[in-house]
Amino acid sequence: MTLVWAVARQMVAEGVRMRIALVFFGLVALLLLGLPFSIEGDSSLTGAVQSFLSYSLTGTGVLLGILTIFLSRSLSNELVNQHVFLVMAKPVPRWQFILGKWLGMALMNFVFLGFAGLAVYGMVHWIRRIHPPINDRFDKIELENEVLVARHGLKPKLPDFAKPAEREFQQNLEEGLYANVPDFDASEERERLLQKHEARWRVVGPRDTRVFDFENVLCDRSPGKEIQIRYKTEVSRFPDDEIFRAVWSVGDPSKGTPVYDASVRHVVGRRHTLSVPADTVASDHTLVVQFFNQNPFKGEPQFGNVIEFRRSDEVEILFVVGSFEGNLFRSLVLIYCKLLLLGAVALLAAAVFSFPVAAMFAFSFYILAGSRAFLGDALDMASDDTLSLFSSTREFAVRTITYVYIALCRLIPNFAYFDPVETFVNGRNVSLVWVLQALSELVLVKTSIVLGLAMLLFHRREVAEISV
Amino acid sequence: MTARTIPVVQSAGLCKTFRDFWRRPRVEAVKDLNLDIRPGEVFGLLGPNGSGKSTTIKMILGLLYPTRGRISVFGKAPSDVAVKARMGFLPEESYLYRFLVAHETLDYFGRLFRLPARVRRERSDRLLDMVGLRHEAKRPIGEYSKGMARRIGLAQALINDPEFLILDEPTSGLDPIGARQIKDVIRNLGDKGKTILLSSHMLADVEDICDRVMILYGGQERAAGDIQELLRRRDVTQIMTPLLSEKTIERIRQVVLESEGKNVQSVSNPRVRLEDFFLSIVQEAQRAKVRTSGATAGGEIPEFLRKPVETAPQDVVQTLLEGAEREPTLGVREQKESVVEISAADGVLRELLGAPREELPKPVVGPLVKPAAAPARPRVDADVGVIDALLDGKSNRPDRSNEGRP
Repeated sequence: MTLVWAVARQMVAEGVRMRIALVFFGLVALLLLGLPFSIEGDSSLTGAVQSFLSYSLTGTGVLLGILTIFLSRSLSNELVNQHVFLVMAKPVPRWQFILGKWLGMALMNFVFLGFAGLAVYGMVHWIRRIHPPINDRFDKIELENEVLVARHGLKPKLPDFAKPAEREFQQNLEEGLYANVPDFDASEERERLLQKHEARWRVVGPRDTRVFDFENVLCDRSPGKEIQIRYKTEVSRFPDDEIFRAVWSVGDPSKGTPVYDASVRHVVGRRHTLSVPADTVASDHTLVVQFFNQNPFKGEPQFGNVIEFRRSDEVEILFVVGSFEGNLFRSLVLIYCKLLLLGAVALLAAAVFSFPVAAMFAFSFYILAGSRAFLGDALDMASDDTLSLFSSTREFAVRTITYVYIALCRLIPNFAYFDPVETFVNGRNVSLVWVLQALSELVLVKTSIVLGLAMLLFHRREVAEISV
Repeated sequence: MTARTIPVVQSAGLCKTFRDFWRRPRVEAVKDLNLDIRPGEVFGLLGPNGSGKSTTIKMILGLLYPTRGRISVFGKAPSDVAVKARMGFLPEESYLYRFLVAHETLDYFGRLFRLPARVRRERSDRLLDMVGLRHEAKRPIGEYSKGMARRIGLAQALINDPEFLILDEPTSGLDPIGARQIKDVIRNLGDKGKTILLSSHMLADVEDICDRVMILYGGQERAAGDIQELLRRRDVTQIMTPLLSEKTIERIRQVVLESEGKNVQSVSNPRVRLEDFFLSIVQEAQRAKVRTSGATAGGEIPEFLRKPVETAPQDVVQTLLEGAEREPTLGVREQKESVVEISAADGVLRELLGAPREELPKPVVGPLVKPAAAPARPRVDADVGVIDALLDGKSNRPDRSNEGRP
């Protein structure tokens, strides 16, 4: 470890002396100090802080990504300037040299990210102080409750739609309804019925009620604490005044909790948040939320309107599970995990190629990892249907290429999946499980594989090789 | 084989071919090289540019892998890190980190040898003293002149007190004082039993320092052997005496003519070497404390480098025996000398010196035979080097700087 540490220290010294650190600090300072003045947002304090957090964390992540790729130039420099002749003439195992370089990058990124995190934290408090006064206290409370907090979101437990769907399928079968259906596919029909039952459950007819059951609501139920119900509704016929009326009842009297009713008059098609006391959660950590569609409301022309809760905008409850500071820290750890992997990839490239090629390789990886979801879609396109278009020989070739492509795609991580910005900005909890998943997948598995490959290639390489 | 008899470097049929991008052979840099560097010797690798010297050194260091053949260092593969712990390397160019200061450079390379902090600090200070850069230790290497960078390069090569030192063009870029100091350091390290591989274009340096040399051309060995044997002229006799009168010289001419039937070819006063003359001027200026922004005169060799390389018990005996068989003193060079060059005939010498036949050394004849161990180094009392002087004349290594020169 002495040698690894020596190489890492050397790399940090290089970063400091070559003014890489100075340039980075300058760029971060420029970004963070300039953002509050350049973002307009919706003029509310919450909007200003959310915009700042979103741009600053994204900007810092991108800057550090670029910086990480440039830091890998240290290894290219060692080879091009032949410093490596001196180092490799010393009793330094080559794998320790690569590990030391990676550790040096990791240390620098740690310091840079720490600096950026502190700067973001300081700037948020500064924006809170200097933002123009608002008309009411609501904006400030909204900021505290919905942004500067770590909230856990829970979706309701869905009823078992499989049983009624299967029952209906069997009944239709007995009645011979499928007898004349050409190319009848039973599994497709079952799936269709399943979706129909779920869709039916998601709509609430006029003067009808829907009950949402939540489990594992591990919130603080002490007096004064609140939980939030977040929802968005769509309607079958858009009302003239864009308003719908409903009553929410929260609590379960069968389990001895108080029940709170809230009549709401909300705009259709927008997200709404309702705060209720946390003592509505039962001691077994369950919560019952009931929705009553008040249409048609007497005197208003909204007869027969149904309300729909779509799967993409599920009703959910939110409750505080941590602090803003903890959330910021975990968000930075997620960004850090990505940087650790990117650093290993950049080193792998630098161990094989000269800097311009290595940088291009690392940038390509960075961009591909950022658009991994798109690659996933491309994978779906390479389905069996596509393959069947070819003759058997060509099919074999195409299938082989497809498998290679799939394997490569598996190696490229989905950086978007590990992007904490949206979650963090919305005051959602950046969970420890998520962080651990990033640590295991990005760092323990993929970084180890890439670093191992870099060590192997560097070990086999003739560092004084002349290409003629 | 004992530790002292295992060759430090041994290669058999060593070849290195550089290939192009498509792996097609382009340049055969080293061809069928058989190298044998023995413990305690100063070995010179000579050759013009592109002769394969640097490629050979890089293969010894494990920076390049042989295309064919075998090479071992201390009996192991060159890539073995345990082997590298016993080596020091001064490359041809300064491959030092430009952004580090001298002290940090030595500290970094000391860390790579896992030296404790205290040892690193002490050795760095002493090595900086030795190479005369203590007063410039806080300047980044990037600001150094080429000569100063060479000095730091030498210091880093010695930070681990290596048993085997590889020096690629050690005096390149150095002023005459620096070159002389470096040569003195090398000579003293050789005296302490270090094995040294010296690659240089400066033939005079190699001649001054090395015990054995190998001359490469086109990647192949062209000549190899003991430097004294390789350079000895067998068709000429040279006699060096204090200044003689014209009358005496004339008598010598007559004696040579009568006894051998040959003419004395030349009679002259030997010149002081320009290097010696230059150094005497500079040393005078240094004594007068004239200021300079460059490197100052090198200091004493650090204590940790003065320790002789440990010798196995049976080798001590061998060393002592070799010492008993040493050649007699080559002679003391004084300021007023005459050189008489005649055809070889030891009868004339006997007559001139009035000495019995058995006291005179016999000339070496016949084919060269490689000695089993490094040749013994005869003792001389004259022309002690700068560093030798600082060591209070403890060195027992000869100064060969004037050997063979009229």
